Amino acid sequence: MLMIVPLNTLRPGERGIVVNILGGFTARQRLVSMGLTPGAVVQIIESHPYGPIIISVGGVRFAIGRGMAAKVMVRKL
Amino acid sequence: MMKVIALAGNPNVGKTTIFNALTGLRQHVGNWPGVTVEKKEGVFEHKGQKFLVVDLPGTYSLTTHSIDELVARDFLLKGSADVVVNVVDATALMRNLFLTMEILEMGLKNVIIALNKIDLAEKRGIQINVKRMEEILGVPVVPLNAREGIGIDELKDKIVQMTRGEIKTSPIIPRYDPEVEREIRHIEDALKGTELARDYNLRWLAVKLLQRDDGVIKLVLRHLGSEKLDEIMRHIGEVEERYRRAMDLIIASQKYEFIDGLMHRFVKYTHEQGETLSDQLDRFLTHPVYGLLALFGVFYLLFKFVFALGLPLQEELDVVFSSFGEWLAPQIANETLRGLVVDGIIAGVGSVLSFFPLVFLLFLALSILEDVGYMARAAVVMERIMRKFGLPGKSFIPLVLAFGCNVPAVMATRTLDDERDRIITMLVNPLIPCSARLSVISFLAGAFFASHQALVALSIYATAVLLALLVAWLLSRFVVRGEESPFIIELPEYLIPSWKTVALHSWERSKEFIKKAGTIILLGSVVIWYLSSYPVQMGTGGSYAERLGALFEPYMKLMGLDWKAAVSLLFGIIAKENVISTYGIIYGSEEAIAGAMTPLQAYVLGMVTTLYVPCIATIGAIRAESNWKWAAFTVVYMIGLASLVGILIWNVGTALGY
Repeated sequence: MLMIVPLNTLRPGERGIVVNILGGFTARQRLVSMGLTPGAVVQIIESHPYGPIIISVGGVRFAIGRGMAAKVMVRKL
Repeated sequence: MMKVIALAGNPNVGKTTIFNALTGLRQHVGNWPGVTVEKKEGVFEHKGQKFLVVDLPGTYSLTTHSIDELVARDFLLKGSADVVVNVVDATALMRNLFLTMEILEMGLKNVIIALNKIDLAEKRGIQINVKRMEEILGVPVVPLNAREGIGIDELKDKIVQMTRGEIKTSPIIPRYDPEVEREIRHIEDALKGTELARDYNLRWLAVKLLQRDDGVIKLVLRHLGSEKLDEIMRHIGEVEERYRRAMDLIIASQKYEFIDGLMHRFVKYTHEQGETLSDQLDRFLTHPVYGLLALFGVFYLLFKFVFALGLPLQEELDVVFSSFGEWLAPQIANETLRGLVVDGIIAGVGSVLSFFPLVFLLFLALSILEDVGYMARAAVVMERIMRKFGLPGKSFIPLVLAFGCNVPAVMATRTLDDERDRIITMLVNPLIPCSARLSVISFLAGAFFASHQALVALSIYATAVLLALLVAWLLSRFVVRGEESPFIIELPEYLIPSWKTVALHSWERSKEFIKKAGTIILLGSVVIWYLSSYPVQMGTGGSYAERLGALFEPYMKLMGLDWKAAVSLLFGIIAKENVISTYGIIYGSEEAIAGAMTPLQAYVLGMVTTLYVPCIATIGAIRAESNWKWAAFTVVYMIGLASLVGILIWNVGTALGY
């Protein structure tokens, strides 16, 4: 439980395990149904200073808004 | 009796491809009752049995938080389908099986899994033992490569067998930790004595209640009363305390764990998946700078394609209809009838149909981009910019289309999942100058500002675009409130488009445009014909149209224009290019316009024409995609905005001595 950080702080290539999702019910449900659930391994594919981050979850690529990524808490691997 | 087949699945799994492969051209698009979610239905026959296929909206799960999911869920819950075909993407099994588990959890037994993209999965080293998968899930699994049409016949066979009752299924139901299971049992026991036990699968209700599903909470409240419900909710709260996590997250992650456990028994990965070609392309196409450049390039080509091909066709159709009218006119003896048929109906039908090539080509180009997978990338690139104006990146597409024609552009707002985003994008859409307004702007610029033609045209365009963004921002702040939609979008792997899907899709869309916009345009041109022919022909000053114009003259004076502008703008509501041709009728020729106005007046006219009211087809499209209230709102705010800008420019212009 050492390094629990928001997903948006990871750099390209880094991976993390989702431990919790903060934020509203709707946003949470949306993330969860797409596979971004506690226990899932997420890898950052692309991240630029502004705008969405591109991630890989379960072999699928997603673009996720920075604000939303900040609500996904991950344990850095 | 026609048997009903429901197609359910995630977005981007090839559901539409399978739907088309099953039904071919025997399909039609409508709306689900009461909502603006698209409903596709089609029929096919196999082994002497007729089937009605209903394509449910593509969803990742079946919660009640979006209309799409609610529609799909209600359809499945009601037991409306004889067979549910759950389309599953073999390359993203884990996530796809999440929806499968939600479907099976409802207690449905008549489920067939269509395991699509099996060829792609194999290429990526994902080996699926279909036989084992069938045994473990307890329902039939048919592997497919729908793009190539492989597996479609096997799927049809299985559907027939299932409707004949020849397949025994024993669907697997997801299990959770003992603590969660205890809560489920607790709720099930409470519900057992109620009427709900007759209509619903109690375990499903219990799981949904644990997830605090709005619809289910209300349902249970009606049958159990608030006291019992409160007690259940208190229990849930206690479990959440222990897990230190919201119950819906607990359920979801345990469901994924369950799926993971199952998958170990029928999936093998022969090699690690490294960086794919799609990733390499994305590095470029979603880049903040290169991605934006690529986007401009792509849409430049799109417009080139649509207009280079579509405009000549449009002109040709115009000629065909007007010469048909000229041919028909002498054949009708009654003058009133002749006027109605030739100037009213034929002119109206002609203008609707002449739009068809443009609309079709536009939809064709868009469908190709969508099918290739590029649209999701365009949304990512534009997200950075559009969000500043309160809009999601995806709304960029309908706005760009508007430069061509606002009607398909308004229809394209459907691709936005969020209601609030959809309405805002629709309402600001008519501010973007379409190609009809381009003809007015370029005529005025050419006639009055020969030396600064491009600059003048550009200034009108820039003003319109800036106002569209400003209005979007204002609307998102003050009028169409609601939570800003969370941005998460799947980036499907780039694929060569399936031509059948693309062609069918664009055909259906353009047909719909003709049907929806057609009636209103027709009606409008009959009204115009009447106003300009009674009680006397226009040009004499005594027609209803001209009298109406005179009525508006005092208002028009505020922006330096006269009754002639009022009449022209009135007719421009039918189609914006009418503004110039109406002037032409009043003055006797279009060339005469140049001597009748000052450059400043012409500039105001160009600006007002661009901003004032959407053409009648666009109003019709907005009404069809939302309701009369929003259509009326658009008309009102645009008149206000156009007047404001017109008055401002006129007064500033005269003060500066132009």
